Amino acid sequence: MSAHGTATATPLLELRRLRIWSGWGETRRAITTGTDLMLGPGETVGIVGESGSGKSLTARAIVRLLPQGVSADGSVRYCGRELMGLAEREMHRLRGRDLSLMFQDPFTMLNPLLRCGEHIAEMLADGDARVPRDRVREETLRRLAEVGIDDPLVARRYPFQLSGGMRQRVALASALARDPKLLIADEPSTALDVTTQAEILELLRSVQRARGMGLILITHDLRVAFTTCDRVYVLYAGSLLEVGDAASLEREPLHPYTLGLLLSEPSVEQKLGELSPIPGAVPAPDQVADRCAFAPRCRWVQDVCRASRPDLVEVGPGHLSACVRLPEIRAEMTELRDSVLHRAAEVTPVEGERLAVVEGLVKRFELGRRRHVDALKGVSLKIGPRECVGLVGESGSGKTTLGRCLVGLETPTDGRIEIDNIDASDYTRASKAERARLRRTVQMIFQDPYSTLNPRHTVGRTLSEALQRAGVIGRRAIEEMMAELLHLVGLPRAYARRRPASLSGGERQRVAIARALAVQPKLLVCDEPVSALDVSVQAQILNLFRTLQQELGLSYLFITHDLAVVRQVADRIYVLLEGEIVESGPADEILSQPKHPYTRRLMESVPGAASRTG
Amino acid sequence: MKLEETASAAPVPASVGVTPRAGRVPITVWIAMVFVLVAVVCAVFGPQIAPYRANRQDLLLGTVPPGGDHLAGTDLLGRDVLSRTIVGARTALVGPTIVAVGAFAIATILGLLSGYLGGVIDSAVMRWVDFMFALPGPLIAIVIVGVAGGGFWTAVVVLVVLFTAPDTRIVRSAVLEQRPLPYIEAARTLGISKGRIMFLHVLPNILPIVAAYVVLDFAFALVSLAGLSFLGLGVSPGTADWGRMLFENRTILFTNPLAALLPAAAIVVTAGSINIIGDWIYQRISIR
Repeated sequence: MSAHGTATATPLLELRRLRIWSGWGETRRAITTGTDLMLGPGETVGIVGESGSGKSLTARAIVRLLPQGVSADGSVRYCGRELMGLAEREMHRLRGRDLSLMFQDPFTMLNPLLRCGEHIAEMLADGDARVPRDRVREETLRRLAEVGIDDPLVARRYPFQLSGGMRQRVALASALARDPKLLIADEPSTALDVTTQAEILELLRSVQRARGMGLILITHDLRVAFTTCDRVYVLYAGSLLEVGDAASLEREPLHPYTLGLLLSEPSVEQKLGELSPIPGAVPAPDQVADRCAFAPRCRWVQDVCRASRPDLVEVGPGHLSACVRLPEIRAEMTELRDSVLHRAAEVTPVEGERLAVVEGLVKRFELGRRRHVDALKGVSLKIGPRECVGLVGESGSGKTTLGRCLVGLETPTDGRIEIDNIDASDYTRASKAERARLRRTVQMIFQDPYSTLNPRHTVGRTLSEALQRAGVIGRRAIEEMMAELLHLVGLPRAYARRRPASLSGGERQRVAIARALAVQPKLLVCDEPVSALDVSVQAQILNLFRTLQQELGLSYLFITHDLAVVRQVADRIYVLLEGEIVESGPADEILSQPKHPYTRRLMESVPGAASRTG
Repeated sequence: MKLEETASAAPVPASVGVTPRAGRVPITVWIAMVFVLVAVVCAVFGPQIAPYRANRQDLLLGTVPPGGDHLAGTDLLGRDVLSRTIVGARTALVGPTIVAVGAFAIATILGLLSGYLGGVIDSAVMRWVDFMFALPGPLIAIVIVGVAGGGFWTAVVVLVVLFTAPDTRIVRSAVLEQRPLPYIEAARTLGISKGRIMFLHVLPNILPIVAAYVVLDFAFALVSLAGLSFLGLGVSPGTADWGRMLFENRTILFTNPLAALLPAAAIVVTAGSINIIGDWIYQRISIR
């Protein structure tokens, strides 16, 4: 097993042919198809994969906390001890004390009825030994300090009184309470804002180093894995495609999938001419059980890839890849990588005309008597025709409220909105004709692809309803327009008969875009339209936005927290902080030389940004 | 790099293309369905199936225990208990159906208006619901039906009104859950009318919940109506009705136990079966 790199004599954790199944008997389906993993003491490894890759279930299989109807076989050895056959009682004793788990969602992970201190004290007490109360209290505070919470009052707060980042710190402290030798962190930073995300990752790293414990970081983000881990395992549709040192993997990914992931990821440093998405979507693991899992989406695929399932083969020191064609295509891969990363787009600034103007917009939410929140405190911005304006901010900055005001889902408290020379400050007061014109000028794309479509309506029904609103009459005309719309967003015509439940996230978002385009709007307000999508799909949708802008002359207000995304699409950027715009200007200028300290902090928090600019 | 003894030991099972089977109908649901089907057949064809006319009296015979000509015996007036139970299925099913469907028809409209439009309409509807909740339901039913002189239809109408209040709350909360979802907001930004959004977008998505509660209401109405009949407030005296039979025949429990127990069992089994089916329907619809 020398191929696994730095790991020495007895590994802390060793997975061999770990397979996870869902269901029983005839209906049993594979979720992962044999994962080998090795973790030395004090080592950090990352498991990277998109949704459906089986990464979270792998973590759960290690601690044997699989959901009902899911089972695992193979071998899990912890300090040389086989865990798979262990009695539940023994396993229970290992959990928390030796192996600890930390989850993604800081909002549901803590018991809302327990104070933060109690979460940690509960873990410290550990059943039998009776510890004096003040000793427990002291220890709790020490543990909180370890995760960077110096304020002793936090121990007496309830989880809902804390921010997401603080909650994640408390969760980490309680996961560490029994001094585990191995911590498994499942997307610990995904639900957090960029700046908080960077802090949590840094904290994890420093705690891991100080304690010399093993850490398995599960993430969908290659950059996060590269900056945090020693070694990275790339998991795709239930099988490992590539394993290697973080540094060598980042320098030269040796599997087409890893390369594809890296290339489809929008870059913060520069606007690329066109993103290179991976076509299609992640297949179900059992559909590709007898071939290379990535074969259906690989640009280099040949018959040999479909003939059998390729094994991981050593391709460099400590670097394994499951690509059978690697020797033939290695040069091509490098070439592709260089060409894509150096294909910068020309930036065309637009000046002059204005499509939408927002002046001094204030939105106050009343929360009851004498309590209110000012979501927007006098925001002004302009959107020109054929311009893509990025609105960047973290959660709570008021960016979504601004977007909702533009399309009339919220009525501003004060200020003015003018769209296409119509006063749109208050949709309810506009005349009927004006309102109808506004509705046909501005449309909105929502974040969550899973609830953006009516689950009971077919795609065709959704689109034809929108077309009818646009004044298209007659079945034939509607059907023609519908086919055109579907074609525009890159979906086959037959999709009109499908229901949302049978569509992937990316496909749903395409249908939502088609629905918005049905009324031939001039401005699309996009509220985090790609943040719920997998990286490879995200690039497809971003490319679609660009194509549509060129073909239809659309303007966008692109609301996002993701600087890399905004760099790829936006011409100009506004940075929103707590309801106020702190910086604005051309995208390139702001992202290359941020002036406001907040913007600078945002830039520094992007995973991998610092290492790459350095 | 010698990885494992080539993975031939346990080859990946040929499960490619296997789609999860649509859940098989559980045996309890089958049994419940059979019971309900029997009840429905009795309700429709009762008089044709029954061995005797339900109201044929045989005063000379009087009460006889089960057996012989009368499978379930006779009651005080010598009427055949089995025939009366079969024929009694009609009032037992028609009343609750009207109550459940009627109450939910009203509640769906009120709940949609109040949940989707909000504001004054919402306050008005909800205050009315609060008022109805403050009333002791069964007692009010007894008083009104008693004062109005009883009768099956009075009881049904009173129950419809009583059931509407809690049902409105259920529908309203389901509407409130759908309202902030992007697909509704997208419909609003397209300028689709409120009525269309309420009935074409929101309603289909809350139907599973409504359907499940209609069924629950049915079972509850069945028991309530039988209760009113038992108190002598429902159907007119002499009518073959399960609740009424329970009341009339409780005195002969030791001479012919089936005279009271058979209608009682019919009430319990029908209400229970309907509940089981309701749960099953709800699970099936809400998966999709």
